[in-house]
Amino acid sequence: MAKRELFWGFMSILVILSAYFIPYTVLTGVERWYGSFLLWILVGVVVIIINLFITRNWRS
Amino acid sequence: MSNSFIWWGIVIYIVISLYIAYLSRSGKETSMSGYFLGNRKMNGFVSALSYSATTYSAFMMVGLAGLTYRGGVGALGFEIIYFAGVTLVAFFGPRFWLVGNKYGYVTPVEMLGDRYNHKLVSVVIALASCIFLIPYSAVQLAGVGYLVEGMTNGGISFTTGVVIATVLAIVFSFIAGIRSVMWTDSLQALLMIIASTIVVLLLIQGLGGFREFFGTLEANHPETLTVPGKGFWSFATFLSMTVPWLFFSLSNPQVSQRMFMPSSLKSLRTMLLGFLGFGLVYTLVSVLWGYSAIIMFPGLENADKATPSLLSSELVPPVLGLIVMVAIIAAAISTIDSIMLTLASLFARDVYGNLRKGVDERRQLAIGKMVMPIIAIMAFAFAELQLDLIAVLSVASSAGLTVAVPAIIGAFFWKKGTAAGVIVSVSISGILVLILEMSAIKPFGLGSGVWGLALSTVLFIVVSLLTKAPTEKATEFIDYVNSELKQKLSPNKP
Repeated sequence: MAKRELFWGFMSILVILSAYFIPYTVLTGVERWYGSFLLWILVGVVVIIINLFITRNWRS
Repeated sequence: MSNSFIWWGIVIYIVISLYIAYLSRSGKETSMSGYFLGNRKMNGFVSALSYSATTYSAFMMVGLAGLTYRGGVGALGFEIIYFAGVTLVAFFGPRFWLVGNKYGYVTPVEMLGDRYNHKLVSVVIALASCIFLIPYSAVQLAGVGYLVEGMTNGGISFTTGVVIATVLAIVFSFIAGIRSVMWTDSLQALLMIIASTIVVLLLIQGLGGFREFFGTLEANHPETLTVPGKGFWSFATFLSMTVPWLFFSLSNPQVSQRMFMPSSLKSLRTMLLGFLGFGLVYTLVSVLWGYSAIIMFPGLENADKATPSLLSSELVPPVLGLIVMVAIIAAAISTIDSIMLTLASLFARDVYGNLRKGVDERRQLAIGKMVMPIIAIMAFAFAELQLDLIAVLSVASSAGLTVAVPAIIGAFFWKKGTAAGVIVSVSISGILVLILEMSAIKPFGLGSGVWGLALSTVLFIVVSLLTKAPTEKATEFIDYVNSELKQKLSPNKP
């Protein structure tokens, strides 16, 4: 694996771990739309951004 | 809704889909890669839509809304974990694509057999895929049956719905193999995303706009905005349900096979990014449907009735309700026909082709085509039984397929992995998943997928270390991938 791939792999794992742990710790008491609901949507957006970066050099 | 209204919707859908399937033909396909992979020349946009349609089954449209209705925001987290797992395609996609082109693989299982240098690897994983995916198809068929029966108050029977879905899945696959499936999938995905988004906008508007929508939830149902919420989403449950989902894009052959099909890495990129865009919208839509149902129908006994209740509510115009119902039926069919094609290719190439000597491409294709209706009929029979067992096996299916994940990762990253390691890990962990699912035992509160994956990882590593690796093949395979990736993906190349 190239360094670049390793970096993005690490970032992806970090994002996935945050999607598991933040809602079950910090946000368990936030009964608002800007609690877990918003966090998981933001995770979705960050996942798209990460994928944009990883695939930046894929050419035909 | 009246029967004739629904029949018209179904008939119009059938006519348009058949026309599109017919248009997608391009001469007679005589090779396996032509029929099952579209000659590895599928464009990125169609691949993206088809990937979406195949992944997002009827279960999602009814099931994810139902899951939100039942347990609140945890359903969003559950689907987002799957979504994040699709990033695996960004790492494995180019690798699958490169070796698929070099060695001519038609199925991911064939790739594993060749990489680990043993035919039995292909046979074992192909059989495991059939065991776990046929019930999954059956659940899709049953979903159609329940939907038409529910929306017509029994006017159109469960069996009629199941028969329509089975016949259409066979026809779409037969017309032009993967080409017709991908084009009808694309139609379905577009229809689904547009119609379901309009429905969600109408619902939120009808319930007072975004601010009031969430204001009502925060005031009357605050527990639906947190996990574990009312208690449904305990962390153990969340972990058990998400682990098989996280690896879905690698473990399910009907989607991992798609990594062989795009015409170039650029098309593969379009497929991945297009799917992610579609998936995020669709996930949000399904979850918001569930929330709308919480506000509008707080007392439903069965959470799976959330979607049918919304579609027949006064906030959704009947024509739109009908379009979405047809889209859900189409979603089920697009998942089944892709699974049917994949299983047919697995059986023809990896089971039949490996167990009988001297079978040429033409013969394999003929066998594949013969097997498709048999698979469909088996799924039909499962659906008709209407057993609890189907539900049990549908959960088991994603968990059961997860046991092949260590072997897939090892193929590209661990030269010491061996055929014995794969065969032992897949078969023993697969049996463990079946036993846990059928006996409904959850050691330490964790589901079969977690235990299956853990056991198969340990077995794969230990047995591989105790046996002799196919060093020559492993080195050639992995070094080829690494050198090509370095060359193809270097940022400096024009």
